[in-house]
Amino acid sequence: MGGLSIIMFSGTVDKFIPLGVLTQTAANMEMPVKIFVTGWALLGFVKEGYKNTNKISKEFEDMAPLLIDGLRNTHTPSWYEMVKSAKESGNVTIYACSMMANVMQLKKENFDEMVDNVVGAATFLQESKDSQVIFI
Amino acid sequence: MVKINVDSKGLSCPGPLTEFVKAYRTASNGDEIELTATDPAAAPDMKSWCEATGNIFEGVKEENNVYVILIKVTAKKF
Repeated sequence: MGGLSIIMFSGTVDKFIPLGVLTQTAANMEMPVKIFVTGWALLGFVKEGYKNTNKISKEFEDMAPLLIDGLRNTHTPSWYEMVKSAKESGNVTIYACSMMANVMQLKKENFDEMVDNVVGAATFLQESKDSQVIFI
Repeated sequence: MVKINVDSKGLSCPGPLTEFVKAYRTASNGDEIELTATDPAAAPDMKSWCEATGNIFEGVKEENNVYVILIKVTAKKF
């Protein structure tokens, strides 16, 4: 079966939540998952960075209370917990984008332990050639 | 052959499937897992999960918005 490949660009919690849900679900379905973290999402994957991913997209900021209350009522884990549990139980590989890492002056040791490697786009695309690729 | 009960009432996607998979990991071929859920997406999701993994969806019963979903474990590789 082909896998799921996710290009994770956005850095707000309303975009990190679908990352968590889709990664957890694909791992549950025994699909391999590859996540290419680039753009503003990199900040959520530096060490301790997930603690600062509570901002919501500007255009939906008035929806924030509904989102926060709804997630609490449905006992949905945080995006970080979902990705971490998927990585522990399934076949999940997380890459940081080398170009954006250079722009932000980040090295492998600056990233969360979940990040497997810092690679270029060609590596990710070649490894994703039999997978569905989505951009968040 | 054992029957395992998993209660996911009150959880939304991907909670019911995640709780189910925790039980599935400890199950053996021939076991049955009964998943109880309030999320209406749980039963169709479990059908798709069975298609993806090769396990058997045995059916779903609904009463008062509670879904009881029965899965037969047949595709464990170890």
